Amino acid sequence: MEATSIVKEIPASLWETTAERLTDLILSAPSGFRLPPGLVHSILYIWQRDQLATETGLCRLLEAAKIVDAEKAGAILAEIGVQAHTVASLREIKMPWKV
Amino acid sequence: MVKFGLEFVPRELYWRTTYYAIQAERSGFEYLWITDHFNNRNVYVSLSIVSAYTDRIKFGPGVTNPYLCHPVVTAQAVASLAEIAPGRVLCGIGVGDKTTLSMVNTEQVKPLAAIREAVGVIRAITSGKDAVSEGEVFKVSGVRLNFSIASPVPIYLGAQGPRMLSLAAELGDGVLINASHPKDIESALGFIKDGATKAGRSADSLDVAAYTSFSVHEDPKRALKAVVPVVAFIVAGSPDVVLQRHGIQPEIAAKIRDAISHEKWGDAFGSVTPDMVEAFSVCGTPDECVEKISRLVKLGVTQFVTGSPIGPNVRRSINTIGTKILPNFKG
Repeated sequence: MEATSIVKEIPASLWETTAERLTDLILSAPSGFRLPPGLVHSILYIWQRDQLATETGLCRLLEAAKIVDAEKAGAILAEIGVQAHTVASLREIKMPWKV
Repeated sequence: MVKFGLEFVPRELYWRTTYYAIQAERSGFEYLWITDHFNNRNVYVSLSIVSAYTDRIKFGPGVTNPYLCHPVVTAQAVASLAEIAPGRVLCGIGVGDKTTLSMVNTEQVKPLAAIREAVGVIRAITSGKDAVSEGEVFKVSGVRLNFSIASPVPIYLGAQGPRMLSLAAELGDGVLINASHPKDIESALGFIKDGATKAGRSADSLDVAAYTSFSVHEDPKRALKAVVPVVAFIVAGSPDVVLQRHGIQPEIAAKIRDAISHEKWGDAFGSVTPDMVEAFSVCGTPDECVEKISRLVKLGVTQFVTGSPIGPNVRRSINTIGTKILPNFKG
């Protein structure tokens, strides 16, 4: 499963909130050092253009959130109303990054 | 009109600092200073990546020192950055931190001469001239870069004591004053004005930056909790004359210093009083911070630097500053 499949389950009206919550998770996670440089640079590039609350931005944030703390990332998705089976599929998303 | 700057200590992962730098630029900050200590990430590596992801914000080491990084190397570093980000690079320089210098057996030899000579060397080299110094601390003969940069790099002096403040007024494009309270800023400005007069220049030509310990949150208790550890370290490192200016007994500062040295964090942070927080930080709700910043601006501060910890959540605090504090100071 691609991250984009999960993003499509999130109502567009919640993209901003989701991006902020995933960003807070990534910025505060003790395991932030595990993020691959390619993913980090992609997020910074998107952030520089203020595009994190877009489909592409959320995909990168989900990938990063899965790496730093999959459990908390799942909890965030559940809290914003993403269905349980989609939340569970977070663990199966394909990572285009070498972790 | 006062400008806003942000200070980062590169203890954080490089991409977190870069994330916050992008956010700061978008939020209206005009300056970014990154500290230079050998036990953190390298300041110039950190600034290089910041330069690649920002377009307008000005940045530089805040501050480097000439004892661990020879002025010709500092000149090379800031000139290289200026090639990447023309017109955006600054150079902050001071005498360094005694504690970290002592770890590598380095003394602050002839601090006034060292800074005067270092500024001369850095300014000459970044202006495309030959650097020559037959000084007391640095001997440099005809050093020149093999590349040129579009414009000279403004030099800011980190200063606290009367003589260094006076020197900053004589030599600097700006001065970074490590202080948060109007009493300390007022005292520093007096020395800056005297120094400028002696040097035959107007103090108005200097960018006077208050380099503060800052913490903002809608809930003042959360702002306070974030700033207490930083204030404990400031109190522990402050000379008696500064403590007495704020009515803080040196014995209590010594107690905090001792607790820190034994890593008894509960004792150290628990000994911090509201008076200490008031003396050594700008802390509170957005409205309270606006009021405290306004007092410093009225005294003559032209750049307000929000330093560590910034707030309990750095991302949200930068947002708060951008939306609730900065607009109060824009024409």
